[in-house]
Amino acid sequence: MRVLVIEDEKKTASFVRKALQAESFAVDVVANGEDALLAAGGTPFDAIVLDIMLPGRDGLSVLRQLRERKNSTPVLLLSARGEVNERVEGLNAGADDYLPKPFELAELVARVRALTRRGSENKSIALRVADLTLDTVTHKARRGGADIELTVREYRLLEFFMRSAGRLCGRMMILEKVWDYDFDPGTNLVDVYVRRLREKIDANFEPKLLHTVRGSGYVLKEAP
Amino acid sequence: MTIRRRLTLWYAGILILSLFLMGIGTYQEISEQLRHDHRKRPEGHALDEAGEMIFRVGLPAVALGLLGGWWLTRRSLVPVTRLTAAIKKIHERNLHEPLARTRNGDELDQLTKVFNDTLLRLDDAFNRIREFTLHASHELKTPLTVLRGETETALREDALSSAERERAASQLDELRRLTRIVDGLTLLAKADAGQIALKLEPLRLDELVRDNFADAQILAEPHGLRVELSDCEAISVSGDRHRLRQLLLNLADNAVKYNQPHGVVMMSLLKSGDMAQFTIVNNGAGISADIMPRVFDRFFRGNSAHENTIEGCGLGLSIAQWIVSAHHGTIQIDSMPSKLTTVTVRLPLDLAVQAA
Repeated sequence: MRVLVIEDEKKTASFVRKALQAESFAVDVVANGEDALLAAGGTPFDAIVLDIMLPGRDGLSVLRQLRERKNSTPVLLLSARGEVNERVEGLNAGADDYLPKPFELAELVARVRALTRRGSENKSIALRVADLTLDTVTHKARRGGADIELTVREYRLLEFFMRSAGRLCGRMMILEKVWDYDFDPGTNLVDVYVRRLREKIDANFEPKLLHTVRGSGYVLKEAP
Repeated sequence: MTIRRRLTLWYAGILILSLFLMGIGTYQEISEQLRHDHRKRPEGHALDEAGEMIFRVGLPAVALGLLGGWWLTRRSLVPVTRLTAAIKKIHERNLHEPLARTRNGDELDQLTKVFNDTLLRLDDAFNRIREFTLHASHELKTPLTVLRGETETALREDALSSAERERAASQLDELRRLTRIVDGLTLLAKADAGQIALKLEPLRLDELVRDNFADAQILAEPHGLRVELSDCEAISVSGDRHRLRQLLLNLADNAVKYNQPHGVVMMSLLKSGDMAQFTIVNNGAGISADIMPRVFDRFFRGNSAHENTIEGCGLGLSIAQWIVSAHHGTIQIDSMPSKLTTVTVRLPLDLAVQAA
């Protein structure tokens, strides 16, 4: 998996590169829009991380140019402007995801991973992790032969975890996908819901499936 | 006493004084003449004649003068009344709109001109403060991104001792808090600068409230609080879904955070006239009357928030107030300390949406 990072702020570029490399991505970093278009024209990438604020040609213009050239590589936009409407503008210009600065590194990595898996997403109706199963038609969850009662929100949270099984899910990502929030509510809503979900799917069973990654988010997987 | 009344009284005084002087003059003149021509006539007759003259001519003249004075002062003070009405409408948002001038070069026109210049200077100062806040919140974002990223990277290193790991994790928590403050500040600075456009759409307020009720129950559970939804009428409004959800969650979070153990949170949504009325009540420590006027101020935190070290960025209610006023609604807090604290949000019902 090869990722192109377009970021002019050196330190940010550096830790983004490190974090992605740690997840065994190959990473190319360029610092301006012209170099980005050159790089994207020459090498096929699996995902592009694009900062909106760049010297010279800005990120949105780079994005439009890419799409005009029929380059459909998934793009994650980064922005320090934090405009409420910027997300919509970015998605309309052809971005696949949007992350406002300052972001959590784990959040960024999780999103890049999600982008590179796009298309190969688990679309099946019956989801399964270890002995935990979830039927996405009847919304029924079962573990160890017992039915598990879930509220609507708990169901959506579990479905999200199961569809991204084995991958780190950041809090912002969960709020976006499960709650459809485009803001950080500043509450521990996610943590409280996860605690409840854990009581239902993990408390009376072994092995534990839902794990906390300190300071980053959660991951649903069989091995710790 | 108004200038008009004062001027009229002065005017009346002067008229009466001049009438009095005129009377004395006339009396002396007449009595002198009488003495000269008909020495047999008695003294008192002159007084009668003078008095009669004053009554016949003087009093109507005074009355006319008074009326004229009343009318004249009113006429000359009309521009002042107009100016007063115009100045009353000035607030921090319309400082850039100058007052209308007569341009006839009189004193009041000069006053208006000077006042307009002052307004422009004030507007400039306000804008500079707004821009400063906006720039400050933007400038903070890049170093914050770097700090957060590097702290997270440090946390991932396997060689970290548990003490170092603890320290890095605690730093990350504080950075996250700082991020929330900067995000809130950016939002408010943008709102001040009029840079946020609401995405209005017809929506069912009761659905948002029910959704929020479910979240509030979950938030309340670890604190052993009871959450109730007494009424939830089907109400359609025209609003920005994300911002209204942010508002509701914000209020619910406050009601939970500032509650007492085993307390109650009660919500309701009702139609009240042409407004949708959402109330959320909690029986926490409440807000004392002396700090009530400041609860919507940015970064204002009541004593209980400091004592109990309740986590929050101090911008929640300011943001809530902005969301409500952007929807042309009102928000009000009533509190009987240690009994009940009620937050009431009123949003105008969109009749067009209602009918559709």
